Amino acid sequence: MNLWLLAPELSLFFTAVVVLLLGLASSRRGIVIGVSLLGVLVSFVFAAFLWSGTPQATFNGMLSVDQFAVFFKFIVLAALVLVILASADYDYKVEQVRAEYFTLILISAVGLMLLSSARELITIYVSLEMSSISLYVLAGFLRDRRSSEAGLKYLLLGSVASATLLYGMSFVYGLTGKTELGQIASAIQSLSLSGLLDNPALLLGLVLVAGGFGFKISSFPFQMWVPDVYEGAPTPITGYLSVASKAAGFAAVMRIFYDAFGAPSWLGQNWGLLFAGLSIATMTVGNIVATAQANIKRMMAYSSIAQAGYIMVGLAAVSMGQSVAPAARSALAFFLASYTLTNMGAFVAIIAFSNKTNSDLIVDYSGMGRRAPLLALGLTLCLVSLLGLPPTAGLIAKVYIFNAAVQQGLLWLVIVAVLNTVVSAYYYLRVVKLMWLGNPVSEEPVPSSAALRTALFLACAGILLLGIVPDLLVRLSETAGHSLL
Amino acid sequence: MLTQFGQIALFILVIVLFISALPIAAFIFRLIGLAPHKPTQVKTSTYESGMETVGKSWIQFNVRYYTYALIFVALDVTAILLYTWAVDLKSLGAAGLGVALVFIAILAVGYLYTWKKKFLEWK
Repeated sequence: MNLWLLAPELSLFFTAVVVLLLGLASSRRGIVIGVSLLGVLVSFVFAAFLWSGTPQATFNGMLSVDQFAVFFKFIVLAALVLVILASADYDYKVEQVRAEYFTLILISAVGLMLLSSARELITIYVSLEMSSISLYVLAGFLRDRRSSEAGLKYLLLGSVASATLLYGMSFVYGLTGKTELGQIASAIQSLSLSGLLDNPALLLGLVLVAGGFGFKISSFPFQMWVPDVYEGAPTPITGYLSVASKAAGFAAVMRIFYDAFGAPSWLGQNWGLLFAGLSIATMTVGNIVATAQANIKRMMAYSSIAQAGYIMVGLAAVSMGQSVAPAARSALAFFLASYTLTNMGAFVAIIAFSNKTNSDLIVDYSGMGRRAPLLALGLTLCLVSLLGLPPTAGLIAKVYIFNAAVQQGLLWLVIVAVLNTVVSAYYYLRVVKLMWLGNPVSEEPVPSSAALRTALFLACAGILLLGIVPDLLVRLSETAGHSLL
Repeated sequence: MLTQFGQIALFILVIVLFISALPIAAFIFRLIGLAPHKPTQVKTSTYESGMETVGKSWIQFNVRYYTYALIFVALDVTAILLYTWAVDLKSLGAAGLGVALVFIAILAVGYLYTWKKKFLEWK
């Protein structure tokens, strides 16, 4: 038991407690945000130390600190920096409880960071709930009608998903008698089954666990909560939900399915096909429904469902064999990193616009290119990156993940994904066209705070950097992909 | 297998018959005059030998109760956990003491928070 391996989580948790206590003394914006950012920085430094260490398991194999986990910790921390900066201009709506707002964000990040390194069923569940419960509260934080509805819906549906996940885990535990992923894998192998239908308990466990996590990563049959919650929740939280909790969810799915159900190979191919099918349904539903949206937060919600579909292409590729899995894992990690920057950037721009116009309707973005050229440029870059055009990170991410899938013989899946990308061009570029070619509603310029501008600049710089010199992050994600314990 | 289920079915049948027999019997006794029917106001009241209710029971409880309930649950869980810790205190040693102190410190933050936020004051 080496507590140093938990340093990123512990320091972040300590920061959360300090922020909460500070809020009792004074809730000045500068202090609260400054301390939060400092805590994130400290946590980042600890994580960077862990990155250069050797992969190892701690707490009797409950947590694994390998580069794959640390990579996702970096992603969560990056999203955290952006969401804290994005909240700086938004928190006038939560002025009375500002410290609590940031405390909850920090605690949910601790949960997500633990989730990315958990390799034992109970630990996975506890860290999942640790992040979820904070996020349920945050979704309903504005306490108006829409936000309360979002919070309640998220809580109720999230609880059902948790129950499903636990039910599935109980089948897996009942079958193997183990909760640690590696031991589950060897227990399954010692059963010497010849197919999934031989053992209904395994089938049921597999499907229910996939269902429980499907909610978290907003995969197709479990995506119905996404638009309502994304629309009602405070916009910075919407951005945070769409990137950090999704990234950690994918890390956990990757670990559970690859570590526990990766062998024998027919089992891997079975859940690979399951995710391939879900992937097609997810991206098709997301993209087609997104074209009909009038509210930009709802459009981004469906877009994030579609993006989850693309990421699941990578998940399907991971399943198809031991020798090529690391490449697919690196692609998954790279895609999530680029998606985090891009989607957070888009939400930062949306916050800046809606602070002025008090509206989330796409029509109101008309002529924004003239009213706020820099913000509009930032949003354009983010949307183009979500679509996957050069010179952005989105293009590299898509090429990387589709390439991995083609190498696994999933050409048919990639063809569907590319066709879906074409559909998505309609709704992403519609906003871009409206911003630059539409007639402005008024000539008033849209002001934005320094914090928001910094966040948008960081996101856009990241997108361009990864788009032009992807080599930096590709090397990091390759290390992550090969390091899985 | 099937006979075992058959026994259960027989059991269920007996239950159903027994339960339905009672109200039917009461009804028949009433018809033939075996059971006298002389209601008074006291007899028909809801709690014949209990306290009179004051006001309606469908009132809204004050939402402030919930903070107390929440704090109480936390205190309760702390107490139970510390019992198990205290039983094994000798073998756990200084490290165990440290862990318990950290645990209490984290909970103390919660109490400090509720206290400073004036959730414990009844206004």
